[in-house]
Amino acid sequence: MKINTWFGVLETDRAGKILESRLLSKDVRELALHSLSLRDNRSDLSPEGFDLKAAALECGFVESSAEYYSLLHKITLEAAKLQVSGALTPDQRIIQAVEALDDVNETTNSLSERLSEWYGGYFPESGLAGEDLSLFIAKYGSRENLDPQDPLYSKARSSMGAKLEPADEVLLKGFAESVCSLYERRRQIETYIENSMELVAPNLKLVAGPMLGARLISLAGSLEKLAEFPSSTIQVIGASKALFKHLRARAPSPKHGIIYSQPLINTAPWWVRGKIARAVASKLSLAARIDFYSGKKDPSLTEKLETKVLLIRTLNPRPPQKKQESGAKPRKKRRK
Amino acid sequence: MAEVKKLSDGIFEVIKGKKQLATKNLDPGKTVYGEKLIQVEGIEYRTWDPRRSKLGAMILKKFNIPLKEDSKVLYLGGASGTTISHVSDIVSEGAVYAVEFSPRSMRDLIGLASRRKNVYPILADAGKPDSYSHLVEPVDLIFQDVAQPNQAEIAARNAIRFLKKDRYLLLSIKARSIDTVANPKEVFKEEVRKLEKAFEPGFEILNAKDLMPYHEDHLGVVAKLK
Ligand SMILES: C[S@@+](CC[C@H](N)C(=O)[O-])C[C@H]1O[C@@H](n2cnc3c(N)ncnc32)[C@H](O)[C@@H]1O
Repeated sequence: MKINTWFGVLETDRAGKILESRLLSKDVRELALHSLSLRDNRSDLSPEGFDLKAAALECGFVESSAEYYSLLHKITLEAAKLQVSGALTPDQRIIQAVEALDDVNETTNSLSERLSEWYGGYFPESGLAGEDLSLFIAKYGSRENLDPQDPLYSKARSSMGAKLEPADEVLLKGFAESVCSLYERRRQIETYIENSMELVAPNLKLVAGPMLGARLISLAGSLEKLAEFPSSTIQVIGASKALFKHLRARAPSPKHGIIYSQPLINTAPWWVRGKIARAVASKLSLAARIDFYSGKKDPSLTEKLETKVLLIRTLNPRPPQKKQESGAKPRKKRRK
Repeated sequence: MAEVKKLSDGIFEVIKGKKQLATKNLDPGKTVYGEKLIQVEGIEYRTWDPRRSKLGAMILKKFNIPLKEDSKVLYLGGASGTTISHVSDIVSEGAVYAVEFSPRSMRDLIGLASRRKNVYPILADAGKPDSYSHLVEPVDLIFQDVAQPNQAEIAARNAIRFLKKDRYLLLSIKARSIDTVANPKEVFKEEVRKLEKAFEPGFEILNAKDLMPYHEDHLGVVAKLK
């Protein structure tokens, strides 16, 4: 019988004696690639209990046990490295970026609040917040340094804030610069995600927008998994808390997870949101599949979705009549 | 002064203030997961935290661990290599075939394997032993800690393919990975039944104990193919 091994192909007789062998050269990379090519191989597998090392010695591939193990060690390491580097696919990079963005946002918000709290003691009337405030502080430091053209000049002159001592000013300016660069970093990551989404999942980007699309990939774990999800799952991705509550305690099933941020859903009147969420989820699912399997951009996806949503809204112009609350005494139905 | 007591081949108890499970460090001076290094009479031991390792817990729960210096081990579900590092210490002249299917964990395993010549990393699904049958020789022990619903099946497939005659399978069963709401005792009973009956030729269960207080809702099992 024929047997595939990491070091070559063997031909054995019924008793397991090697009759013939085609051995590979002892090149680590070549052997590693060969080993990887055998992963999905279904034919000529070694029989149960086949002693690879004894065979490698018998056919003369290696001279000693020690040589066998040392070579096998090198090739398993090399093959695993090749596989791991191949695992960082473009969609995985997007996921890393999404996670980094979440971290940056969290840090930015808390540092930005700290800055506002801190500087508030020196210029409470500024009315600035977030990036504007950090840019202002990084530029001027003390409100006394404001130039007369600045719209805040008169407020600064009459401020009830304390005087900013030089040592505190140095500290605050440095802190503000860090916050500014975090805002900068945020934009940089967002741009990266937008550009990558256009390459990796153009249809998903089209239907969901770049950020929502990237978040869906991130929550699913990969574009492949997202493409495999039924649209009912996509509809509630990110609503896991509500979903578990629904499963455990028979709370109402969630109508939407993070896809709620899709404008078609969140601008619709409440009574059609569930229906629209379903329509959007089904287009998202289609988009993810096209992206994963073909990658061609299909601009008609959004048009079709918009038509569908318009139809839903036209067919349901008014909120439905309030249904009887369960638990309340059922009143007799009155007929006209 | 520290004192050392041998529990079984390659497995020790280092007594320095308190008793601690330990192995001889095959990679002197290096720690793997923040464990302690203790020198006794010129030999460096690495302490083994049973709370971070099902196998470590099994040893303290008095399971017999049939490992020798030159044993060949197939380790399924290697994660980042916490336990594998100790197995590698124990079988210093043997081999540990470390199967793990998460690329992220494999990154850590590769780091470990590049420092330890007896660790062979394999990125593969343990449920598909055919995909690594061209690499793995018959082994003296299979240790499995995959925390998957189909773990009995995974164990059977690998044992049939790779376990030498009359050698052992060590298994950690996590109740919650099978059924998140059922009573763990019921889950364990069912899993043991599966190991015994669900596959030809079936396993003979030699020992089965929970891993408390080190791991909640985990069962340690030692089995042999019938
Ligand atoms: C509980 S952890 C193992 C911890 C490890 N034994 C230790 O003590 O250091 C389970 C590991 O099994 C891996 N795993 C789960 N299913 C697997 C499969 N079918 N094939 C290979 N690895 C698997 C998971 O990725 C995870 O890293």
